[in-house]
Amino acid sequence: MGQTPRSARVPPDPLFVGPTTHWYDTMNLLIEHSSQESLPDLDRHWASAQTFAYAHEKSAAAVPWLRGISEQLPPPYRQHHFCLLTSGSTGAPKLVIGRKENSEELAWVLHAAQHSEPVRETIVALPLTYCYAFVNQWLWSRVMHRKLVLTSGFAKPELFRDALRSARDAMLCLVGPQAALLRNTFGGDRFPGVIRLHFAGGRFPQEQLPALHEMFPNAAIFNNYGCAEALPRLTLRRAEDGESASDIGSPLPGVQLKCGEAGELLFLSQYRCVAQIDDRGFHPLAPEEWIPNGDLVRDDGNGHWRLLGRAGEVFKRYGEKIALPQVLSSVNRQWHGQVACYREKDSAGEDGYVLVLSPQPSSENLQGLMQVFRSSHPRTHWPLRIESAATLPLHSNGKVDSLALQSMENRSLLWRQRI
Amino acid sequence: MTNTEKLKDLIVDVFLIDPKEFHPDLKREQIETWDSLGVVSLAVGVQETFGQHFTQDEAIGITGIRDVIGILEARGISFDE
Repeated sequence: MGQTPRSARVPPDPLFVGPTTHWYDTMNLLIEHSSQESLPDLDRHWASAQTFAYAHEKSAAAVPWLRGISEQLPPPYRQHHFCLLTSGSTGAPKLVIGRKENSEELAWVLHAAQHSEPVRETIVALPLTYCYAFVNQWLWSRVMHRKLVLTSGFAKPELFRDALRSARDAMLCLVGPQAALLRNTFGGDRFPGVIRLHFAGGRFPQEQLPALHEMFPNAAIFNNYGCAEALPRLTLRRAEDGESASDIGSPLPGVQLKCGEAGELLFLSQYRCVAQIDDRGFHPLAPEEWIPNGDLVRDDGNGHWRLLGRAGEVFKRYGEKIALPQVLSSVNRQWHGQVACYREKDSAGEDGYVLVLSPQPSSENLQGLMQVFRSSHPRTHWPLRIESAATLPLHSNGKVDSLALQSMENRSLLWRQRI
Repeated sequence: MTNTEKLKDLIVDVFLIDPKEFHPDLKREQIETWDSLGVVSLAVGVQETFGQHFTQDEAIGITGIRDVIGILEARGISFDE
């Protein structure tokens, strides 16, 4: 790509029709309209020396921003790197920049750590622009010369089901909230050809393990905790090696974790991003720099680490500490549909949260859930309201869109605290 | 809906008890969720359901469902249904 004459370069507009590749002066931009369409370009860009950025078409609003910031990429980063567009809960775009060589090394480490020699194919159900899917699915498959089976995931459930039924020694990566979707969409089906099932992105579906083992009787199930800045992995836990969804297991070889003064997770990793670009500009990361990822953790002292929640998911209400992941863990013991929550203050100005269930629970389900709150949590842990919605708003990577959740219409009020 | 039924629904909702557990002689100490915040929730619920405010002394002095009924009856709300 570096030798492409300027005269042959494709103008960057219009961005979302025609060729998927657009050339900027400092890097190439590849747009994922669908995994199928962008795959040949993705292979080509990875093999090329020139740095490229990969963004989903749903990130259209961020593309002008990308064009503007591409000039900030210093010359040493314009070759042998790749950039993925991500955004935190604020929705502000951020470009994480990784070194191709480091990520390929991570693929080898994952392959050994997860005993993945028997895996022959990877079923893709997440957009490849998502950091986790990009490395844990596409790159890992590329490095191991595995067959890649592309699907549109739950957007086209029949095709996804066909791929799962036809699987032969396959690996499947999902995000935590999709476990409930799996049950609700394919409940009763069995997919013996899937031998590895990986979860990242949100709470690990520990309570759903019996149902998942029924659906995937031959699959080893793993918690693949990480974050975009880690590109993407930090720890590993086989499902059976812990009893709690919050147990994220042990650091991968080449990764170190520590707990900051406020309980925040800090990590060092050989495979993490080497720089970031956000609204404040370009930020290179020194090799010895500990990176915070916004999660609160605890070292269990037995080699395993425990996730206490995002910084915004642990708060005090009337002086009592609430960790929303623990509350959700209780909810999931009783409720097997989808669940999400968003923060809100009560009339006294105290921090609280609203629980949203999907689909609408029966009155028996709701009564059972209320009994869980009564028996397992003090009143300060109870939600301000319980609402339901036919479906939850999801990002393209399958995670719940918390901002959209708060503003979505057609929510039903099921219960509220009178306070 | 009778006032007794309204009160039952309110108590079930505020303290998360099973509807089958409800009876007028239920005491505060028999409901583990009847804590200080529960007192506030009950007071808000009574205001919403019956349009009556508890004074602070009344709210603190309530020892069970009978006391709630007694306060509301003293304000003209009948539970003889």
